[in-house]
Amino acid sequence: MTMIISILLIVSVVVMLIAATGILRLPNALARQHAATKAATLSVSLFVFGLIFQAIHHEWGWEWLVRLGVLLLVLLITLPLAAHALGRSAVIEGTSKAQKSS
Amino acid sequence: MSLLMIIAVLLGISSLAGIYRLVMGPSLTDRVIGLDLLFAIAVAYCLMAAWVSERTVYLDVAIGIALTGFVATLAWSNFIQMQSNHHSGNSS
Repeated sequence: MTMIISILLIVSVVVMLIAATGILRLPNALARQHAATKAATLSVSLFVFGLIFQAIHHEWGWEWLVRLGVLLLVLLITLPLAAHALGRSAVIEGTSKAQKSS
Repeated sequence: MSLLMIIAVLLGISSLAGIYRLVMGPSLTDRVIGLDLLFAIAVAYCLMAAWVSERTVYLDVAIGIALTGFVATLAWSNFIQMQSNHHSGNSS
């Protein structure tokens, strides 16, 4: 059980590092938005799953499970919406800049 | 304990990338993307604090940070869209 928790947390942090690398290295705002939002959603969800396994393993009680479930639900609902809004604003800003420069 | 230290250091390194994009971003959308990554890292840090101190209060803080980041991202992206529409409407 401790092995599973450690693997989940390490994979979560590695995915967060991949998101940071994508934010630093990718060429334009739309690609950076893809790197940031998807990878960050996966990373925080894996962290929540690791903490769920930790709460089950140590028998911390149902308050932990309820709050972690609500947090997972909030993350999985709100982060794709934020990704969509960011992608839309990136495209609109890019086209308005292209129109202004041409 | 050492696993927690490794996780904290790696999260700090990835937050440096978010801070760089927040300060140096060429467009306004890049800054908002950096802010979004920083909010995600803040949620992860809150989960780590809940794990270390074994208190459920930090989970409530994490839910609050997630919702605040969502509303902030939506507000900024709406602002960028309104500004771009305004500018392109003026120029054309």
